[in-house]
Amino acid sequence: MAIKTILCIEDDRFIGEMYVRSLKKAGYEVDWVVDGNDGLITARNKQYDVILLDVMLPERRGTEILDALRGGKEDLIPKTHVVVLTNFQQDDESRISMEKHADAYLIKAEITPKKLISVIEKLEDNSITP
Amino acid sequence: MEVKKTPKLASQFWPDFIRRKVRLIVLTQIIIALLFGLVLIYTASITESLLWIWFISFLLLPLQLAVGILILFSVTKPTKDLLGVIIKVTGEQPTLPLPNPNTTKNEQTGFRDALQTIYELSASHDQDKPETDEKASIISDALDMTNCGFIAMDKNRRVIFANKTAPIHTDTNGEKAIDLIFNGSDTLNAWLDACAQESVHDEHVWTRIPDHLPNEEGRRFFDVIASYHKDSATETVLTLIDRTGSYVVDEENLDFISFAAHELRGPITVIKGYLDVLEDELANVLTDDQPELFHRLVVSSNRLSGYIDNILNTSRYDRRHLKMNLSEDTVAAIYDTISDDMKLRAGAQNRLLSVAFPNDLPTIAADRASIGEVLGNLIDNAIKYSNEGGIIKVIAKVDGDFVDISVEDNGIGMPESVVSQLFQKFYRSHRSRETVAGSGIGLYISRAIVESHGGKISVRSEDGHGSTFTVSLPIYATVADKLKAGDNSNEGLINEGNGWIKNHSMYRS
Repeated sequence: MAIKTILCIEDDRFIGEMYVRSLKKAGYEVDWVVDGNDGLITARNKQYDVILLDVMLPERRGTEILDALRGGKEDLIPKTHVVVLTNFQQDDESRISMEKHADAYLIKAEITPKKLISVIEKLEDNSITP
Repeated sequence: MEVKKTPKLASQFWPDFIRRKVRLIVLTQIIIALLFGLVLIYTASITESLLWIWFISFLLLPLQLAVGILILFSVTKPTKDLLGVIIKVTGEQPTLPLPNPNTTKNEQTGFRDALQTIYELSASHDQDKPETDEKASIISDALDMTNCGFIAMDKNRRVIFANKTAPIHTDTNGEKAIDLIFNGSDTLNAWLDACAQESVHDEHVWTRIPDHLPNEEGRRFFDVIASYHKDSATETVLTLIDRTGSYVVDEENLDFISFAAHELRGPITVIKGYLDVLEDELANVLTDDQPELFHRLVVSSNRLSGYIDNILNTSRYDRRHLKMNLSEDTVAAIYDTISDDMKLRAGAQNRLLSVAFPNDLPTIAADRASIGEVLGNLIDNAIKYSNEGGIIKVIAKVDGDFVDISVEDNGIGMPESVVSQLFQKFYRSHRSRETVAGSGIGLYISRAIVESHGGKISVRSEDGHGSTFTVSLPIYATVADKLKAGDNSNEGLINEGNGWIKNHSMYRS
């Protein structure tokens, strides 16, 4: 399954624009929303190949969004990869619970757009599942 | 099999003793009589006409026994009297009647004096006792009124005294336990272990030791002074000075620092991100020294990001929130994650970086990002404290159950007096304050990280000739079992190893 569509949920304008710019240049279709509520609605309305999820978001936190999408009995986004991107390292409990539902958990300050693209490409390689 | 005997009391001595002696007399008399009888029968000395002698001997036996026992009681009477008095002096429940020294017989024999002396000694002993009790209670009341904690422990490290202020709780076994959360490998138990092996008297001071975890109610901070006197009844005495007032402010500052550092990461993300993107996009546009200047931007932003990581980890460590996720890794793979950055940093400052790891190096148990941070700090220091054009060597070798990774420079080095203080927080040598910029937390957090791996960090240095910092990390195979048991967190390792940081587990003596 080739990765094509990406949803970026990120409230920092500079960071959001930076990711969107590079991802678009790399050929991905990117939608970008800035608050948690919109993020959850968008993620449920359209199927994305990858969701880039910030944690500290207005309205609704990344942890809550992930919980709403994957915490229940049914995985609402079974075909989507979730990459958590944060600069606030969580306490262990919430980090572990996020890691459980996400494909990657990354510190934004260590992930440049180039590295982000290589992470997404890796997800693509790994997703050749039966 | 060894059977544990309970110690007997003085009052139990007499009945046992007298029973044994009576038994001895009866037995020996009977045996003698029987032997004598047998000899007579055997030698046929007794004829039927002499049978009456047989009967008389038989009748005399009980009389003989009675006389023997009477003699025993009479002979042991003074001993019994002395014991009776001694039991009274020991304070045990009296089992023997108290002898009267003033009987005529005692006066005549002079035994009266002996008994009298013990009675007098006993009386003065009794007089002393209330006084000692009174003193003890005054001291204990006084100690309860101070805001210092006092704890006395016996040689089994059991708490035998603690005043009100002391951070103590009683555990489910009814034993008193000390609530102190020590930092690093420098715990009370570790110190006592060392004392038990090599000291007769010793003293040690810890500062900023909390009794509870952050966010727990009534958290206090103490400076702890411990005195050790081998084999004394109170082998270890702890004096705890409550410094909550001044240290709590520091804690609040730590929260602020952590928050501020997280905030700094936002702009850093954008700076690093665009530099990375623009480096490619501007590759053909930059001219002259511009590519080099661009490099400097990249190096500086990476260093800034490294410092922020140091600050965050330090604040986590100080609040006892630093946690490692250890997994099997190779030194080369860890170095790979910082290799580009290090090359860039060394190049930008005109240093030669030589990195060589043997291919057959065993895997280690490491938290990749944290060890990367440690190596980054050491190389950064080597760059700072060496001269232009200097070589920085990074090598690794096996040493017992550990892999030693060394960062060697031939820079300015340092005198011995500096080495011992090097890993303290905010420590900066006199010289480095003048010539090199820095915060003094790089080595502090590096040691914290390495020790939380169950490893060690050490330094060898010669003033004017450079320094070698060595990080020793456990070979994965030697700790794999512990790690698997501990779900790859560092706790299993640490509890067994240097007892460094036990996240969310209290120190219990």
